[in-house]
Amino acid sequence: MNIGNYNKADELTRRQFMLNAARTYLGVHLFPMLGSSVASAAPSGVGTGSKAKHVIYLFMHGGMSHLDTFDPKPKKKAVMGPTKTIVGKAGVEISGFLPKTAEVTDKMCIINSLSSTQGAHEQGTYVMHHSYAPLGTIRHPAFGSWVLKLGGRLHPDLPGFVAINTSAAVTSGGFFGAKYSAAPIGSPDDGLLDSKCPDGVSSDDFSRRLSLADKLNQQFHEKYPNADVKAYEDLYREAISLMNSSDLSAFDLSKESEATRQLYGSGKFAQGCLLARRLVEHDVRFVEVQLGGWDTHYDNFTGVEGRCQEFDQAYAALLTDLEAKGKLKDTLVVVATEFGRTPEIQADHKDGRDHHPSAFSCVLAGGGIKGGVKYGQTDSSGNKVKKDVVTVQDFNATIAHGLGLPHDLVLMSPTRRPFKIADQGKPITSIFG
Amino acid sequence: MVAGLLLVGMAGTDAAERKRPREDVEYIKNAALKVDTLIANFYRNKKLPVPDVTDDATFMRRAFLVTIGRIPTAEEALAFIEIHDVNKRAELVNHLVNSGGYASHMSNWAFDLLRLRDRQQDNQGGVGPYREWIRQSMEQNMPWNELTNQLLGASGNGWDRKTAAVGYYTTDRGMPLDNLSNSMRVFLGTRMECAQCHDDPFGETERKDFYHLAAFTHGQGEVNQGIMGNLWEELRDETKTRGLEYQVGQLFWDRIYGMSLGGGGMGQMKLPYDYQYRDAQPGEIVGGKTPFGKPVRTSDRRVDGEGREKFSKWVTEKTTPQFESVIANRMWKRVMGRGIYEPVDDYIEASKTVYPELTTYLADLMRELDYDLRAFQKVILLTKTFQFATNPKPSTLDAGDDFHGRKIDRLSAEQIWDSLITLSTGDPDRLPKAAVDMRIYVGNKPVMIGKKDMAQLSREVLELKTEAQLRRYFKDFVEQVRKDGTGGEESAAMMEMVHAYDADSAVRASELPSPAPREHFLYLFGASDREVVEASSKEPNVGQMLSLMNGFVQRQLVNRADAHLYKSLQGVTSEKEKIRRLYLAILSRPPTEKEMDWMLEEVATSGAKAYRNIVAALVMSSEFVFLK
Repeated sequence: MNIGNYNKADELTRRQFMLNAARTYLGVHLFPMLGSSVASAAPSGVGTGSKAKHVIYLFMHGGMSHLDTFDPKPKKKAVMGPTKTIVGKAGVEISGFLPKTAEVTDKMCIINSLSSTQGAHEQGTYVMHHSYAPLGTIRHPAFGSWVLKLGGRLHPDLPGFVAINTSAAVTSGGFFGAKYSAAPIGSPDDGLLDSKCPDGVSSDDFSRRLSLADKLNQQFHEKYPNADVKAYEDLYREAISLMNSSDLSAFDLSKESEATRQLYGSGKFAQGCLLARRLVEHDVRFVEVQLGGWDTHYDNFTGVEGRCQEFDQAYAALLTDLEAKGKLKDTLVVVATEFGRTPEIQADHKDGRDHHPSAFSCVLAGGGIKGGVKYGQTDSSGNKVKKDVVTVQDFNATIAHGLGLPHDLVLMSPTRRPFKIADQGKPITSIFG
Repeated sequence: MVAGLLLVGMAGTDAAERKRPREDVEYIKNAALKVDTLIANFYRNKKLPVPDVTDDATFMRRAFLVTIGRIPTAEEALAFIEIHDVNKRAELVNHLVNSGGYASHMSNWAFDLLRLRDRQQDNQGGVGPYREWIRQSMEQNMPWNELTNQLLGASGNGWDRKTAAVGYYTTDRGMPLDNLSNSMRVFLGTRMECAQCHDDPFGETERKDFYHLAAFTHGQGEVNQGIMGNLWEELRDETKTRGLEYQVGQLFWDRIYGMSLGGGGMGQMKLPYDYQYRDAQPGEIVGGKTPFGKPVRTSDRRVDGEGREKFSKWVTEKTTPQFESVIANRMWKRVMGRGIYEPVDDYIEASKTVYPELTTYLADLMRELDYDLRAFQKVILLTKTFQFATNPKPSTLDAGDDFHGRKIDRLSAEQIWDSLITLSTGDPDRLPKAAVDMRIYVGNKPVMIGKKDMAQLSREVLELKTEAQLRRYFKDFVEQVRKDGTGGEESAAMMEMVHAYDADSAVRASELPSPAPREHFLYLFGASDREVVEASSKEPNVGQMLSLMNGFVQRQLVNRADAHLYKSLQGVTSEKEKIRRLYLAILSRPPTEKEMDWMLEEVATSGAKAYRNIVAALVMSSEFVFLK
């Protein structure tokens, strides 16, 4: 893979685009090459009304039951089983499993008309994160990597893309290369592990080690010029500037008050949401936090209730807290999942629900989204989309639009194949204020 | 099962007359020669220069990492490099494939392939016996066709060693269709996930084909669990008083019945409620029908009862050459770094691959070797092709190997971990393996220790035929437990019976919890989460760099005076020799002259602590984490 040349080519497309749209929020020091004389070739629709700078992407892994969360059908007992409905702020109806979320529905736009063609976890999760179905012959960049590629990062030292409790398979830089991959966080409480010079090692020793390793690496790279090896070496430099960053405390949850930590609740997901807020405050661009366990083939209602308990308090706290900090207006908070679950309840699987890609729900909030809104509709049992179908690609194009990124800008892969951030998706512009 | 016994029987009678190819040293040597001849012809036809053979040190490191998943210890490295024997490469291969590390490294591969997770989300049972079954299959080198038959045709008690393979189905309970898609992908390289919901627009598979196939394995309920249904309802209803009876109920329901697999596969099933094509109605019953290969069918009129066995036999015996080609290609990738065709779970006919003769030969060889994965890998390891010099350029082909020398590739998370463990503790394979905990737990405490274990208890429970019998047995068991008390303090002797390792143990990755916790070194370096087939990643990220600079390496290696790699320095006074030994321990080669000068300069500047700095720098180097 000839990543070197590719990046050069890409630098041009990015420059063209940024002049039109993104200059306002990019640190100028990051792009000293940006001059006013660069010719413009504005991709359509860029920069109009975009407000968001950051994304907090909450991924409900396993396939979140739309019926038991954001698209309840109170009139259909057979579909709902024991799940109740409550009416939240601005009159938005959601599942009774989400009482705290009901208090922030006035900030949310619930999209009930998502539809995917991928009904298996791996494929479904992949297409949500990459806008393309998995192919054996190419590694697509993750959505967060696209955001960095098109929008650049905001902080010079901190990673632009951080993935909390998320599988590496869906946060990879793909053919953009490793520098666009997410920095992984396993446990929010631990933050970014090993980011400090180890105790007992003087800075003199530390730099001696680095310079020895650097000599060895240069030698190795000369002998074996290889893109993967190069990417590895580049990341060392990244790691070192990160270690030296005065903003490293962005990863440190102990800097938060006990009251704030309790506002979010306990558990990895809740604390991950809090960490995401901290990171966004420190100008990290894209943070993904995962909540697994939604694959409720078996005993759906117990499963969903448990998942909702993890989700509900943390999500409501995140929106409230972001707003209090003045960051909700430029942070797009996304709740996504790979598919929904069947209206049919499988009695022989202890009242389970199976995968249901043809209709499901995702939620957007903040970053210029109009709140208190439901977009799209499913039929009376939540089986098929009845109105305003939103494909996975449309959904991703909408996020890109919210960030002011050109969803229709074509970038070529190193193998000379054309790709876009949201494939053929068209953004839903009407949900932005 | 039957196939397995037959195979063993055949091998036995045959051995009296002549050796089976897999046991025949000459046959294996000739097969390696045949592979080399094919590769040589490939170069000749393409008018390409044949790559050089790599040096001893590179060969050694490559062979260790590929075969047993770790770097050699300093002692092993020194021994190999200093021996002057023309056959030493072949002998090293022979040694490695027969060493304990082989099974460990293969277990990681099998765990990734079979998505082995110690904890199941919806399933309160355990997977201990199933995990142990996979590990032992690797250790005992169970032939791949037999292993496939045992997994796909499984039924019975999850706690019985002989039938613990039922874990393949019970761990996917509630998602039988995903399980089937995965089976087709893993064992036959056929992707059918799309057809679960709709006709595949790009392939030939229609949704109905998928359901015809799913009919074979349909019906994956528990053994006889029905007789406990009423009792369990009663126990569960008493929500306030969840005492001993409830706990015993839970043990029976989840850990005994829940880990068993009843019936044998119905051979018929209903089409889903949302079936959308004109050729059949939703809810219509379809029988089993295989989509390709030699056809096998079951009736849509009656329950077959042997559907899983029919399905497994079809996979292993009636899809020739697909079944053998897929596993041969997987093994080629494992040894050579890249499959002849990629992705390896997307089978293509030999004629459509970049080198049809080789693809065909390897599938034939797999069959000839009776699906013996150890023997097959040995053939490839013995080739000159395996010894080719490193080529830093990636394959020129998207869809497979271009055979232009060894491709440079980052080590897997498990290989890096196992290598670091080797540096910190020495040969990790001398440690005992984790054992399955067969004790009976009520609540969280072991009971009836020394009197009864899970194997016996589960056998007795699953043999009960009626609700009355079950209720009587249950009552007696509760009484016994009550009388015995629940375990109490665990004695040291008891603990010794059960070897268990937690995530912090400095042992082989294959012995650690699966999947690795998200905070673990393995996860950081891209180990699979084992939710989907082969989901590991070799992509670097900034966290890995931090870990190599400041984290695990620093704590376990650089700062620990008792780390194994320092032992090889004991008694050595020469600075040069110390440096040479550190190089051998970490990079499996002596330093070049230039490197020696750099390191000596470091010693001159930093004195005694220079060696730590050198260790830190060598582990941080790209050469440590990349396979040449």
